[in-house]
Amino acid sequence: MTMATDTATPTGAPAPVRETRSDRIVMICNYTALGLFTLAVLYPLVYVVSASLSDPKNVVSGKVWLWPVGFSTEAFKAVFDYDSIVSGFSNSVVYAVGGALLATVLTLLAAYPLSRKGLPGKGIIMALFVFTMMFNGGLIPTYLVVDRVGLLNTRWAIILPAALAVWNMIITRTYFQSTIPEELVEAAKVDGCTDLGFFWRVVLPLSKPIIAVNLLFYAVAQWNSWFNALIYLTNEHLFPLQMILRQILIQNNFDPSQVRDTAELIRMKELQEQLKFSLIVIATIPPLLIYPFVQKHFVKGAMVGSLKG
Amino acid sequence: MQEDLRTAGVKRRSFVAGALGIAAAGGSGVLSGCSSGEAAAGAAPASLSAPAVELAPKKTGINYPPGYVGPVAREQRAIVTEQVTFTVVVPQNLTIGDWNKNAFTQWMEQQTGIRIQFRQVAGKGDDPETMTKVNAMMAAGDIPDAFLGVTFTRSQLYLYGAQNLFVDLNAYLDKYAPNLQQAMKDYPEARRLIRSPDKGIYSFPDINDCYHCRASNGRTLLNTDWIRKVGLAMPKTTDEFREVLTAFKKADLGGRGKTIPFAGYKDAALDTYFMNAFLYNPGDPWLVVNDGKVEANYVKDEWREALKYLRGLYADGLLNKDIFTADTDQMNRYGNNPGAPLVGGARAYYWGSFLTIDQTDPNARWHQYETVPPLEGPNGIRYAAWNYLKVGLEVSTLVVTRKCKRPDLLVRWADFQLDLEAVLRSYAGPDFRWSVKGDKGINGKQSIYGFDATWNSDATKGKTWDQFGVMYRSGDFRLAERVNPQKPTFESPLYEQTRDQLFPYKQPLEMEFPPVTLEADQAAQDAEIGLNLKGEVTTSLAKFVTGKLDPAYDGQWRDYKDRISRIGLQPYLEIQQAAYETYQG
Repeated sequence: MTMATDTATPTGAPAPVRETRSDRIVMICNYTALGLFTLAVLYPLVYVVSASLSDPKNVVSGKVWLWPVGFSTEAFKAVFDYDSIVSGFSNSVVYAVGGALLATVLTLLAAYPLSRKGLPGKGIIMALFVFTMMFNGGLIPTYLVVDRVGLLNTRWAIILPAALAVWNMIITRTYFQSTIPEELVEAAKVDGCTDLGFFWRVVLPLSKPIIAVNLLFYAVAQWNSWFNALIYLTNEHLFPLQMILRQILIQNNFDPSQVRDTAELIRMKELQEQLKFSLIVIATIPPLLIYPFVQKHFVKGAMVGSLKG
Repeated sequence: MQEDLRTAGVKRRSFVAGALGIAAAGGSGVLSGCSSGEAAAGAAPASLSAPAVELAPKKTGINYPPGYVGPVAREQRAIVTEQVTFTVVVPQNLTIGDWNKNAFTQWMEQQTGIRIQFRQVAGKGDDPETMTKVNAMMAAGDIPDAFLGVTFTRSQLYLYGAQNLFVDLNAYLDKYAPNLQQAMKDYPEARRLIRSPDKGIYSFPDINDCYHCRASNGRTLLNTDWIRKVGLAMPKTTDEFREVLTAFKKADLGGRGKTIPFAGYKDAALDTYFMNAFLYNPGDPWLVVNDGKVEANYVKDEWREALKYLRGLYADGLLNKDIFTADTDQMNRYGNNPGAPLVGGARAYYWGSFLTIDQTDPNARWHQYETVPPLEGPNGIRYAAWNYLKVGLEVSTLVVTRKCKRPDLLVRWADFQLDLEAVLRSYAGPDFRWSVKGDKGINGKQSIYGFDATWNSDATKGKTWDQFGVMYRSGDFRLAERVNPQKPTFESPLYEQTRDQLFPYKQPLEMEFPPVTLEADQAAQDAEIGLNLKGEVTTSLAKFVTGKLDPAYDGQWRDYKDRISRIGLQPYLEIQQAAYETYQG
């Protein structure tokens, strides 16, 4: 029960530190700058959502600038009329989830041994990994490899070639180095724990943040990627959502002077007006949904991992 | 910060991937390592020994207009009795959906007995992405029997054809493509347009003679309501045109000083309309033929005069400020301005470039805008750049590769699609109805067919090949589409305005620079210099018009011409001249 007024000096608690004038100016500048950044990031998001929920006519005539005008969910209904969009969405989920799980497992398995002192040839192995960051075989040779091992035109062609990012592996290794002290390994060994047992019972439970970070990195990378699908797939039923999205977005980039048919121009225009925004929203929702759940681990994991190179 | 971390990995990778893509799309080099010396593995001996195919008898009960030139419905029969399968690579397309399950695919299979296993590549068929994938396939030897709707340039066709990767169809077309032979009689220039410099024909072409497209590069529209309101007439000369725009601005019919007397956007070049009051100008790449000599427009004095004219319009505030930067979306916002129209006129391919076309409302805004005839310049020049050669015939519609064992069957399959009924099903779907005697078409003559719904609506999803198929759509055919007097579309006004306002002012055919085919090394040079020239010409045009440079000032005009010649105008023109002479044969 506090009876103290502003003027009375409470005896128990220390007086709050008074903000100086310059402090306050810094704070105001900070909030203004951050506020502006937030607006800059938020506005396009809000606009796209609003546009997707508006009557396309109002979007085209520029009536929509912040809130939906002429509320309509037609655009979303139209999206589901296209089989390839529906299948694209589920494919993307498969690629993102499957790709993230596999890649995370591989990353952990590669990073942990490399983080321990005793691994023979550690320098060479690490150098080999880093080498692939700088150099790779190029498009055609990689394509040939994927072709010859029989991955072409299968879901594996999307998941396997992207299954390990060296960059993520290095972050993970650094995380292990800085959070799992060598003494812990020794203690476990004294108690009769095997390497695998240690990895499973001690390392993994202590590494939730970095696992979360890896899952998110890989999932988002898969979710956003389209180039591998472009190169390796010729079966429409395997195409990820981003390919379909691209297809619709690039339709705007045609050269009108090359189009053979005015009616075709109209059709493209209608298709785009109808689907563009709703499709962007649909493609953005899943990462936005996952993000809050991973976020609490995220700062910690990525920061610790990136501390020392 | 979190955002940075989250995307950094993605960005780096997509950058690498992108770089690879560009390297591969760089093109011709990729394939040069590929077994060019090997004899064509493909064609089985049987493929040319089958007897030649004759034109099938005409179907009855279809009303053709008098003097009709174009596809005809015939009693076509199945091509094979035992099912044969070919693998064909096609671009992915949302309207077509799954090619293998598409309704027209099934119809074709039923009719011809030939089964096609489609493989779909992403992209539109003519963009770098599609070509990246196609190049990778060919380099890896992962070659289908044919490509359909994948746009190889004439030079690429020639290059791959000379390497024996693509089949020379000459003999096959002569023997097994009676419909195409007929079409090439209707369009005599076709043979020359599909032939490579070595006389090989490396693709099955597609004829789509879109009348209004031949002039759409230079189409300009003015608001006739506004012209009436300011008490003037449709302008005929450059001076009158300026007068009309000035009156628009003064009357401020858009209200609150927001009137845009004349609007343009970055995808619709200004020069294709305005320069034609000073010299014949077809637009990018601005090449014309003068007495058998290839010339570039953008270094001529007439070009400079035209720039001065445009500069004047811009300086007086008669053009929108962002005429060189506005995109389609922006242009549509101007055009569709709620309330009163904002735009007095526009450089547009058709109304849809800046307006939403509402065909159901007879008072819709697009009805206010009409095609302006070409303007007469101070020296009496008055052209509408007419596209005789680059519109109407597409090469590379169907490309047969050396993997194909029976090119004759694929050629017959393609030829089958040139039949009237197949054409209709191919681009419009099964929901057409033959016209009865007395139904009027777009051009006011007897119509042949029509649709109860608009063929491009959602209803055709999964039913058509969306213009990717092999087609024969002659001018007469296109204009014989029935017009529903209750629900007229924009096709009739578009046709009539093109016929009345633009066609009479077309330039002679000899002046048009034809689509030429280049040798591999020339093609590389042409692409490089051409790209730089295009950059210089378009940026300088924008600078001259907006006043960053002054066309009236001799020094700046000379500097501009110097820059052009340093980029390599001379060697560029030599390449084009040689290619032109090859084309002329």
